[in-house]
Parts: sequence; structure tokens; C-alpha cells
Amino acid sequence: MLRYFIKRVFTVLPVLIGVSMLVFGFLRLIPGDPATVMLGERATPENIARVREQLGLNKPIYEQYFIFLGNALRGDLGTSVLRQEPVTQEIVRRFPATIELTLGAILVALVVGIPAGIISAVRRGSWFDTVSMLIALTGVSMPIFWLGLMLVFFFAVSLHVLPTGGRLEASSNFEPITNLLLLDSLLRGDFGTFLQALRHLALPAIALGTIPMAIIARMTRSAMLEVLSQDYIRTAHAKGLKERTVVIRHALRNAWLPVITVIGLQVGRLLSGAILTETVFSWPGIGRWLVDAIYTRDYPIVQGVTLFIAIVFVGVNLTVDLLYAWADPRIKFE
Amino acid sequence: MSTVSTKRLFVLFALVAILGVVAACAPAPTPSAPATPAPPAKETVVVKETVMVAGTPQVVEKVVTPTPVPPKVQDTFIFGAQGEPVCLDPAIITDGISGRVTNQIFEGLVKFDKDTTNVVPSLAEKWTTSDDGKTWTFTLRKGVKFHDGTDFNADAVVKNWDYWRNTKNPTHDAQIKAGQTFEYYEAQFGGFDDNSIITKVEAVDPTTVRFTLKEPQGPFLNNLAMFVFTFWSPTALEKAGTKSCQNPVGTGPYKFVEWKPNEQVSLTAFADYWDKANAPKMKNVVIRNIPNNSARLLALSAGEIHGMEGLEPRDVAAIQNNPKFKLILRPANTTGYVAFNYKVKEFNDPKVRQAFAQAINKDAIVKAFYGGTGMVAKEFQPPALWGYNKDIQDWAYDTAAAKKLLADAGFPNGISQVTFDGKTVPLEFWYMPVSRPYYPSPKDIATAIAADWAKAGINVSLQTVDWATYLDKRKNGQLPLYMLGWTGDNGDPDNFVCYFFCMDAKDTPITREGFVADKEVSDILKKAAVITTQADRAKLYQQAEKLIHDKVLRIFVAHNQPPLAFAANVEGYIANPTSTEFFNTVVVK
Repeated sequence: MLRYFIKRVFTVLPVLIGVSMLVFGFLRLIPGDPATVMLGERATPENIARVREQLGLNKPIYEQYFIFLGNALRGDLGTSVLRQEPVTQEIVRRFPATIELTLGAILVALVVGIPAGIISAVRRGSWFDTVSMLIALTGVSMPIFWLGLMLVFFFAVSLHVLPTGGRLEASSNFEPITNLLLLDSLLRGDFGTFLQALRHLALPAIALGTIPMAIIARMTRSAMLEVLSQDYIRTAHAKGLKERTVVIRHALRNAWLPVITVIGLQVGRLLSGAILTETVFSWPGIGRWLVDAIYTRDYPIVQGVTLFIAIVFVGVNLTVDLLYAWADPRIKFE
Repeated sequence: MSTVSTKRLFVLFALVAILGVVAACAPAPTPSAPATPAPPAKETVVVKETVMVAGTPQVVEKVVTPTPVPPKVQDTFIFGAQGEPVCLDPAIITDGISGRVTNQIFEGLVKFDKDTTNVVPSLAEKWTTSDDGKTWTFTLRKGVKFHDGTDFNADAVVKNWDYWRNTKNPTHDAQIKAGQTFEYYEAQFGGFDDNSIITKVEAVDPTTVRFTLKEPQGPFLNNLAMFVFTFWSPTALEKAGTKSCQNPVGTGPYKFVEWKPNEQVSLTAFADYWDKANAPKMKNVVIRNIPNNSARLLALSAGEIHGMEGLEPRDVAAIQNNPKFKLILRPANTTGYVAFNYKVKEFNDPKVRQAFAQAINKDAIVKAFYGGTGMVAKEFQPPALWGYNKDIQDWAYDTAAAKKLLADAGFPNGISQVTFDGKTVPLEFWYMPVSRPYYPSPKDIATAIAADWAKAGINVSLQTVDWATYLDKRKNGQLPLYMLGWTGDNGDPDNFVCYFFCMDAKDTPITREGFVADKEVSDILKKAAVITTQADRAKLYQQAEKLIHDKVLRIFVAHNQPPLAFAANVEGYIANPTSTEFFNTVVVK
């Protein structure tokens, strides 16, 4: 187990170095000088030269990269060009909003997706199976953007039961601690704010959770179907075990493995989905921040956030691999 | 052994998950989110019915109903903005989103009146100009206080001016070193230190300030009225230093409370505001950042915001016809155009340019893509500006005439290729990748223009690229024929026409837009820029507009009156052409 762990961790390093080089390189290949963009149309050549100097854009590109990498290893991802904010500090401040959204979406996906998949597999061909797989197919094919707007239209505009966006009401003057508002409001014992935060989270979490939910449901169903057709299940039935025992104790345990993998992959995808969701729901996380930064060519933010997301992505995948190895003893010796 | 704990782990995980979702879904009934919402569940809902449905969790509706519509706080005006402010120090910013916020917090010597670009007193009560137009003396209002309790006086004006103009001023210097710029000061007053057209700003006495200019500047008062040249409390500025963006302190009707990045800026009424007659009517103002146009409109429909900018043209009619809403059109201060790059050999022939102009059906474009808020442009300035020439007869839309012009110019078979920088290349027509007030849907408009041109034998291939690169390419003269537009800064004709058609002292072609070089137009505009009587200036601008039109130096397509949407109970919102209105007149009834 330990050897496997160490091996996996070492394979991660080149990935991260590769990502950092790609992000750094690509961004500089795109035409459009950041100094010009930043200073606007009226900028004088002297000003542009001065800003290029400040950003280190005059140095050779490899030197710029090593400076970036060295600073990144020390936890310093630079300062944003447009607003002069330290990027690391801003990631720390904005990421909790994205975490909250992503966790909410995973919960939606798991709690609906897994039971739906199991029931569909057990009652294969039933109306429940047909309907839920139809919904799953629709869910996979649905653009988050559109789904988000439809949810808002239905729940916020027509029914008035949930807010259209944001994390708290405009009039709220809640002081966050960690910026995970659900946690902070409980820590402060402010149940009203907790409910408010939950209400604001509901729609974006559902919108973001729909695609993974659909994928997880379909994956669970097919994994379960495969397991259910195995001989040992027939044996279990033949022994006279209750249906529930056969499904939960015998079948589900073996069906978990592919499902875990899919869940892991989906967690990574949620981060990219979060970018769209954050825009539709005015959610102040790092996804939207990244999009804004791309438009303004704010190199330090784009580099920093992309690297950060890559680390999170790789971290999640590593965790899934380890979980997988833990769940299936055969894997660790590969 | 490990499998047992795996199982436990998952059971635990599932439990936590279920708990979480039960909580999260309490207000939202259908977790599976059907594509088409089911018909039941209106506002008057089912409390008694506890239906037992096996398996399916759709019974939760009873939890929904008790949750009331969020309480409406009527002492707060909430405005939905299209984006995030860049900074809240007016001297540093150039964007309208930031400017609208700082405009509530800061005030200058003069301001734009209501929905016009006419200049009226603000912190200055009155002013006089010397005969040579080089000395301006302003009498300041007495009893004006900054939000930090300090007094506004001539000394504060002088100190602010030093901050903007003097590169050796410690705060100015620190800002520059931190990567900030004073772009508008440089643009409107010709540069810093000795380059600035303003050579001296002095406090004659506590309520009198005198400006000395190198040479008379026609748009001087209009420049002063911009949101940029508004005053900081010198004490607060010194304290804020390079953190000025986050800590604005002025004399305006609202004072700054909080800026939550990517969420909102909150302001509250300033109790000691000098203008009691125009004291803020709402206790609080919140400017929320909702980047998506549809999401913003939904927020307005749901009653979460009271007003918004960035209404899509297609939504204008719906807002207009719904009694729950109110539509306000911002007076046009924008012009969308098609620019020729004069490095393209063919475009140096006025007949070719006229053919391009006559082949566009502007009327149809304005009708189709502006949601009823656009107007056909025949010259650069929008009609609201005093340099507008109402007598210009625009080129008629006439495909046959365009064909003939092309034939006369030596292109009997139309134009598909041009000579650009010495090379023969297919003719590209570039459209902007982003929508702007002057071009709400650039791609659709470009497609329509290209189709019109094709009828006259002008065949273009449509091109675009991301916005920053687009501007960069345009600046470097790499776009042969392209769409762009202009939104005025200070309501002065100079800011439209001279900015694009005045050549430098050496009469070199203007790199900013298409390398145009027309000395006749340039000379007239330069003359108009240094006169201080408006009537004389107006004549010159009208003359220049006529020449620009007759020579087809550029094709002006449309002006737009950007639409704003409000809840029906909002009153007193007066949209200014410069996009920087004041919120102190707004009431939410």
C-alpha cells in the first residue's frame, strides 16, 4: 500500500510540472500584449514599456518561467495586474465558495444518482428504469447554462421559493470566518444565515450536480447489471437470501469499483462546470474569477488559478486511485 | 478486512450525503430537475395533503409553501451591474462600471446635468474665464464636508490636482510603482508635469481656486465634469495610499461601506451631505455584480434587484409591455462604425469607399438588431451632442449605384481581393467578439452587412478573434476593414471627432484607427479644440462632420440608446449619456 502510494505520488510530479509549463507557455503564445490590454487604448509607449518592465515581460521567457516556478513553490503566485491583489491570498479567499458549490453538487449527484442507478438495475425494464434513464440521458446532454437559467426561472421567478443567485442576500452583513458560509454560520451560531446560505446554494448545486448525477446513475446501473448477472448472485438467490441482502451486500459491493472511478473523474469535471455555474448564478468563486482574468490577460491570475486547479484535480484523482486500491486488493500489486 | 471498512466508509458517506441533501433540498422540491417543469405547485399550495407515494421523494412540497418571498427592504436600492468594478479611486479608473460606483461617492467642481452632457455647478458655485481662455477661476461651495469629517476647500482641490498631475507627488509615484495609471488625466489634459495643459492650480483663498492653462482648451469644462476629476479627502487619500481602490472617501451623497469582490459594493447615505435639497432618498445602495445578462433579468423579475443595465435588445419589448417593469433609454452617446484601413490600396479611392457605404442597408440593420433602441447614424456624433450636423444627407442605400461606383473605380466584377501592405489578399471583414452598446450583436450585424455587400459584388470573409487581440491588431493596423465604435467620455464633440481625426503636429496618419490622414478635416478640428465659445466651435464641428461624410472617411452605422430595466416601483432614475448617473434621486416606493 505504502509503496503504491509513493509510486503514485511520484507520477504526479511530472504532471504538475508539465501543466505549469503548458499554462505558462500557451498564455504567452497568444497574441495581445498584457501591458497594452491593461493600460487600454490611450496608453503611451512609455507607460507600456514601464509596465512590461514591472511584470518582468522583458526577461527571456525561460527566466520568467523559473521565477514563476520558484515563487510558486514558496506559495507566491504573483500579483494580479488589473487590481494589484496577491493571487495566492485571493485564491484562499475565493476557493471556499467554489468548494461549497462543488460539494453541494456532489451531494446532489450521489444522493440521487446512486439510488436511481441501483433501483434501475434491479428493476430493469420497469417504468422507473425507463423514466430515470431517460432523465439521466437528458441530464448528460443538458447545457449547464441553460439548465441553470431554467431552474432560476422556475424556482426563483415563477415560484419565488429560492433566490436567483449570489451566496447571501444583498442586505446581509454576515462576517465570514473561513468563507465556507454554511460552516461559518454554524460556527457563529447564526442559523438564519445558515438557511439563507443553503437556499442560495440549492439551485447552483442542482445545476452543477445534474450532469455528474446522470453519469453516476448510468454508471451505477450498468455496473450493477453486470454484477447481477454473475453466477454468485444466482447462488445467493438460490440460497434463499432476501432481495435486499443480495443487492446491497453481494452485488453493490462489487459494483462500487467502476462507480468510484467515475465519481473521481466527475469531481474533477465539476471544477470546470463550476466556471459556467458560477457565471449564471453570480457565484463569487475562482471559476468566474479565472474567466474574467482570461479576458483581461491577467497573466498572474490565469497561471496561478490554472495551476491551483490542476493541483486540486490531480489531488482528487490521486485520492480516487488510492481509494480504488484500497477497495480492490488486486490493484496494489500492479 | 479492508473491505469491511470500505463498506462502512461508504455507508457513512452516504449518510452524510443524505443528511446534507435533505437539508439542502428542503426549499427545493424536485431534486431530479425535470427538463419541463410539472404543472402543479402554484403559490396556493397543499398543506393538508400528506400523500404516500412509494419510493419517489416528490412529496416534499408542503415544506416549500411556508418559506415566504424574501423580505423586501425598501430602504435599499439594489442595482444589477454587468461586471465587477476595477477600482474605486476615480483618478485611476476608465471603465463605466467602476465610474458609476465612484460617482455616488465623489464629486467634482462641475457635473453633467441630469440626462444631458450640459455642464452645471457641483462643488464649485460659479466660475469665470479670462478673455484669452487661459485662466479659470472657480468659487467653491462653503460648508462641504468629506465623509471622514474633514472640510472640502481650495486646499483640497490643489492637493487632489497635485496627486493627479505631479509624478513626484508621493502618492502618485507610489501608485505608478504599484502598476496603476492615471490614464484619463493624461488623455484629457495632455500629460503629466510640464506636459499637462494645466500649468498651475492655486488656492487664492479657502473658497477660490485658479487654474492656469498653457493654451485655451475648448472641452475644459466638459473634462472637469467627468467622473474622473472628483475629489478625495486629502487626509483619507494619504492614509489609503496605494490601497485607494478599496477605501474611497469623497463628499458625495453616499459613502462607501463594503466591497465584496465579485458580489457587490454597498454604500450608505451620508448624513452630512451638503445639498439638502438633493439628499439621498434611499438609506442604502447596493450595486450587485451579475455578469450574465439573462441571469440579471431573472434577478430583476424575481424582485432581487430593482434595476439593471445590459438589457438584451430581444428583451426590450417584453419589459416595455409588462406593467411590472419600466424601461429607460439612456440618451445615445455611442456610434458603431465600419472603419477602413488606409493601408489597403483600394480604400484610398473615395469611389470605392462610397460604394461600400451605399451598399449597406443601415435602416434594416437598426430595425433588426437594436430592439427598437437604435437609430441610423449618418455622422460620428450622436444627435444629443451640440456639434451634430442635422443638415447632412446620408448616402442612400442603393446597390445598383454601389455597383456602378465600383465599376467606375475599375472593379466591374466587384471586389473580393485587396492589396494590403503590398500583398494581394482576400478581403477580410472583422467583427468584434464582444457586444458593446453601439453593436449589441456584432456577429449578426456583420453577417447582415456582408450579405448587403455581396449584393453589390463586394465579397468579404468574416473574421474575429478574442477582444484583447482584436484591439491589439486594430492598433497595429492589421485589420483591413473592421467594426468598432466609440462611447463618448465627456459629452464634447472634440472627444468624438478630434480624437479620431486630428493628426499630430507632423500630420502623420492616425494609427489609432485605420491610418486615416485628412489634413483638411484635421485642421478644422484642431482649430475648434482651442476656442472656448460653444457657438463658434459648433460651426466648425458641423463643417468637419460634413467633410467626413462627403469623403466617406469612415462608415457610421448606428447610434444606440442603451436600455435599462427597472421594477415599476422605482422612480427618479435619470440615465446620463455618460453612464455615470447619480443615485441620490432614486426612490423605491
